[in-house]
Amino acid sequence: MNTTSGERLNREITRNPRNLKGMEEDLKTANGREWTRIPERDRVHVLKKGTDHRNSFFNWLFPFASIRVHSRLKLPTEAPSRSASTSSVRFPALSRHFAVKLFSALTLTLAVSPAAEFDECYKIEDIKLPEGVPPEVGGIDFAPDGSIFVVLRRGDVIKAAPTSDAKAFDWQPFASGFHNGCGIDAVSATKIRITQMADMIEVEDSDKDGKADRYTRFAAGWDLSGNYHETNTLTKDGKGGYFISIGTASHAGPTFEHVLGEYSAAGRRGRNYASVKWKGWILHTDAQGKVTPVASGFRMANGIYQDPDNNLWAGDNQGDWKAITPLYHVEQGNFYGHPSSLAWDPAWAGKDPLATYRNDLDAYNKARTKAAVEMPNKEINRSAGEPMELPRNGSFGPFAGQLLVPDNNGERISRVMLEKVNGKFQGAVTQFIQNHGLRSGNHRLRFSPDGKQLYVGQTVRGWGSPAEGLQRITWKGGVPFDIESFKITKKGFTLTFTKDLPDKLKEKKAWEFSSFTVQPKWTYGSDQENERKHEVAEFKVSSKRSVEVELEDFAAGKIYKMELPKDVKSGDDKSPLQNRLAYYTANELPK
Amino acid sequence: MRKTFLLLGLGLQPLLGQHLLTYNNRPLGSIEEPLVMSTYLPDPGLDAAVFARHHSSAPAPKYNPGKGEDVPGEEKPIPAIAAAYAVSFGPALAYTFDSTECRPLYAWQGGFLDMTSYWGDEKRGSRVSFDYIPRLVGNLFYKTSGPHPVSIGGKSVEELGGPVYVGYTLLKGVPRFEFKAGNHLVSVTMRPSKKEQSFDAEVTCEPPAPIAWKDGDFSAEGNGKLAFTYTGKTLGTYQGYKLKIDLRKANVQAGETLYNSYGCIACHSLDGSKGHGPSLGGLADEMVELEGDARPVKADREYLLESIKTPNAKIAKGYPPNYMPPFGIPDVEYDSLILFIQSLSKPE
Repeated sequence: MNTTSGERLNREITRNPRNLKGMEEDLKTANGREWTRIPERDRVHVLKKGTDHRNSFFNWLFPFASIRVHSRLKLPTEAPSRSASTSSVRFPALSRHFAVKLFSALTLTLAVSPAAEFDECYKIEDIKLPEGVPPEVGGIDFAPDGSIFVVLRRGDVIKAAPTSDAKAFDWQPFASGFHNGCGIDAVSATKIRITQMADMIEVEDSDKDGKADRYTRFAAGWDLSGNYHETNTLTKDGKGGYFISIGTASHAGPTFEHVLGEYSAAGRRGRNYASVKWKGWILHTDAQGKVTPVASGFRMANGIYQDPDNNLWAGDNQGDWKAITPLYHVEQGNFYGHPSSLAWDPAWAGKDPLATYRNDLDAYNKARTKAAVEMPNKEINRSAGEPMELPRNGSFGPFAGQLLVPDNNGERISRVMLEKVNGKFQGAVTQFIQNHGLRSGNHRLRFSPDGKQLYVGQTVRGWGSPAEGLQRITWKGGVPFDIESFKITKKGFTLTFTKDLPDKLKEKKAWEFSSFTVQPKWTYGSDQENERKHEVAEFKVSSKRSVEVELEDFAAGKIYKMELPKDVKSGDDKSPLQNRLAYYTANELPK
Repeated sequence: MRKTFLLLGLGLQPLLGQHLLTYNNRPLGSIEEPLVMSTYLPDPGLDAAVFARHHSSAPAPKYNPGKGEDVPGEEKPIPAIAAAYAVSFGPALAYTFDSTECRPLYAWQGGFLDMTSYWGDEKRGSRVSFDYIPRLVGNLFYKTSGPHPVSIGGKSVEELGGPVYVGYTLLKGVPRFEFKAGNHLVSVTMRPSKKEQSFDAEVTCEPPAPIAWKDGDFSAEGNGKLAFTYTGKTLGTYQGYKLKIDLRKANVQAGETLYNSYGCIACHSLDGSKGHGPSLGGLADEMVELEGDARPVKADREYLLESIKTPNAKIAKGYPPNYMPPFGIPDVEYDSLILFIQSLSKPE
């Protein structure tokens, strides 16, 4: 929508605050849309330190925490225009004092928040799952008919047609009996495929009575040592087949006497290990179930995703040989850094990859393919779940085409801004959503078929407090003030924001950059090394929303941290900056 | 019983007219609606010949994640089944069908599985236990032994080029497992028998051919199809998962067992290595730095107790808040855990 009506109304209020009756009429017909009024109880928002949001991140996201009285205009349900500056009604001249006065003087209030707070942008709902059932969500997927399938880790698969009321999903059992099913493809409303510990099963409701009756092995061959950590998941390859990522085993669990497939003593070494095939690999299965290895070096890639350009992405979990949380661009034949999996690479026959690389980090660094984006585990993402691209058509609002990476171990979903530099992917990461009622345990993402809602599957078992279930995020039409793009130049970075820069960010002194490196090794995670500050050598405001910075001693092979000042609001509509921390992994400088 | 539990537990949940697994760690099927579950399963002492298509693992050098090196000692593999389906008809019959060996492994009556050591206890935070192997509940009356029981036209399954697992079909809820032996598709269906310590079985092969079943001293024959009732005697009695800890008074040994069984081990190492939570080795009586502005505190008994009882009261520096669940266990267990932590020396 355009703001003409809103601005006119704003002037109207300023001029004649008592003329509210007419204003309401105007609002109802603004742009020919039917406006929905927020119920009275929603009008007073109290943002108070330490309420439901126990996480300290809340305080730095909302340093302005204070009492705010406003009423809001809710957009109609269809998505409005994507234009950042025009998608919310703005009344910047309206003071809080004035708002309170209006509120108390008249039953009809139209005091208005001028800025796009989080709540104007996104809504997070808990989807109610069947009562009494452990909501350990292993995987989620939408069938072509729009129904959603959820595989629970104790083995049941439930199915429902999504409803607008998050509490009203009519869940029906569809199938059962899977061993820790963590990958699911809903082929149709009556046929699904699931990866469980030992194999991938095609499940069909052949008599169409609503419940599956046929369970056929679709693919197998990744073997099993009997360890709880060897879970796996899938993404579609677009040709009827799948890429499947296979987790390594953990020293905290056992190996069985009788294992599936060949056993390797060299693979059974270290903290997380690969005593059988193909632990720590990403595999491909074609539409006939023929399995071939793709790439090695993963520890626990609990989430794999092929984007619309057929690029394959996988995260991993900080741990041994994973310094912080990586996001990899996965390509055939590469080694991504966890040595145990190499026990199954024919080139390593008879050798001990773990011992070799433990003693020769130079050779290790030459052999491994680095992460496209490193995500500091404490500040950004402790354990990467399934990556997912934001719809390119903007059905889910801003940041279209960027990659989301859920954190399985934090109340957050990270947002990755990729670019190709010298032919290789690299880029920056910040948060998409952090807190605001988002649970931890995030590991599966699916957009609803209309691209307007993001479903988040959550599970944590045996790893901290249970944080589990299914949540749904809806874009409400507002555009948050945030970093829209973060690109590298030969000497620094170009940053573009979703809204106009405030004066504060037009000054060089507001911009702080530092860098560090990480060396993955046998330790559980690695410290940040070579930490240092980089002074901003050159600074230019290149447009209303963009700046260009050049940094002292700018070089490749580092992770650059950018930390913006507190209390920043956009220059145009005074929207609070959602994220002030971002990291750019500069594997390459543009040639 | 599974159904009963659900209906009792859920009250009026019309959408769940059918069965879903709940927090009940002793799930059970029924004759009308058997429960089929793929899971790790215990090995009640099966003949090694049964695992013809498995491979043997071996003891591995003990690894110290704090040092990143092997240390003296061995990690011994444990006996268990990696990939089998467990089927429950309620107390009447339970059996397992292995999807690698393509044969039933054992059968029992009077219960099914206790999943506590895999699924964990709902009331105990992180729902984790160490070995991830469910325990049997009931009386074991059948164990297979020797080579694959099926032969077709006088040739063993191996000679025909099998077996290769295909899948199963639910016939009114009863699974019919299928595998290939060369060009033959073989199916095995097992059901409760009217006799005690027994099951009824039906085995078919397609295209039809003379088929035989030989398992130890037991044998049956048919053409394209054979059916038999197997009757056994009690081979073992199992009560499920139960911790054996002496908790008459707080003690170090009980603390160590609890440390393992509550899953503390998943996040807190003993050897100083980094995990999701601080290492416990040498922690006692050291000064601990905290998140926020709080001053360092001494890890005395009071601090350790608070850290287990109300884990978010103080957060050790570098670790996330709201991560560890409060456990709510008896005082004697808290005290045992503290004694165990206090017994740990500082890692080298």
